[in-house]
Amino acid sequence: MSDTNNNFEDLKRLLKLKRHEIPPPGYFTHFSGDVVARIRAGEAGGAQNILERIQSDSPFMAALLQLFGARPGVFGAVATGLCLLLLVGVLFMDRSEPGSAPTPELFAQSAAEPSPILAASTPLEPADNGITVSTNPVSSLQPANTLFGSPQNPLFQSAGFTPAGQ
Amino acid sequence: MPEPATAPDANVPAGMMEGDLVRRARRGDLTAYDELVKRYQERIYATIYHMTANHEDANDLAQESFIKAFSALKSFKGGSSFYTWLYRIAINKTINFLKQRRNKHHISLDDLDFNAEHDPDLVALISEKTPQRDINLSELQEKLNEALLRLSEPHRTVVVLHDVQGVSHEEIAEIVGCNIGTVRSRLFYARQQLQGFLADYIKA
Repeated sequence: MSDTNNNFEDLKRLLKLKRHEIPPPGYFTHFSGDVVARIRAGEAGGAQNILERIQSDSPFMAALLQLFGARPGVFGAVATGLCLLLLVGVLFMDRSEPGSAPTPELFAQSAAEPSPILAASTPLEPADNGITVSTNPVSSLQPANTLFGSPQNPLFQSAGFTPAGQ
Repeated sequence: MPEPATAPDANVPAGMMEGDLVRRARRGDLTAYDELVKRYQERIYATIYHMTANHEDANDLAQESFIKAFSALKSFKGGSSFYTWLYRIAINKTINFLKQRRNKHHISLDDLDFNAEHDPDLVALISEKTPQRDINLSELQEKLNEALLRLSEPHRTVVVLHDVQGVSHEEIAEIVGCNIGTVRSRLFYARQQLQGFLADYIKA
């Protein structure tokens, strides 16, 4: 691959023409001043977007992104592979925990019981201790009325008041 | 590209070591950074200009490269020279820009300097031995830039850095982030392609 074997001398001579291209006169006189002025104006903080930050901080990630950009097929294959891996993982987890799967008995039990929404909206029978059992957090601790006086609720104790000297 | 430099700042001697300037710039010293910009502005501008063949784009990208370098100075570990690191930022920025603007090239060339007409190599190229005898330097310049734009960005980068800017293979490998073998093979392939594109303007 040496230059002499392939005689690129004329091409190199032609490429020398590029070195004679010069920007307008005085262009570099103000260049650094313009850069510093833009930095002072606060562009330095916002100038670095996420992609550029990745390129400067993590060359590996930058190379990976470049590969994905150049070959979208690779990106698609990697994404599909990850999705499949995730799916296999989920299926494997399901199979490895058989107890966690709903059994037919559980289905039957849940069909016999009213749903919590129905339970909250329908009147409930008071339990033995006088507290209505409900999944509704508001009504569950409400004492149910009894036919004879105060409700029998172990959470409430009747306070007696006897004046002094009686 | 000889250009009159601006008056040096009294606080930052022009001969100050690059490492000291970088350290001061990292602490937010814009005077030191101004000196760094002055040192590399011509090379960075020229590299981007030769990649884009457009003065306005090169101006914007060169300024943005320096601004980005200043904001990223804290992440500069000093593993490579500041110059190589700066080049890498400029090249990445330019390649990203060219990818976004793919197939929408707008050429806006700088003028040729006075010395071009007297360069013996160029005079020889447009002499009678050249297949396209009637061509002048401006036309040749246009054809050359069009041919360069036909190269892929990685191949154009290597040709511009080595054959136009005179950067060594080792430094190019560091700037581009590949090994020297890749640089050499890219250079060979790019030259072969250019020779094909410019066959009418190069002596057989």
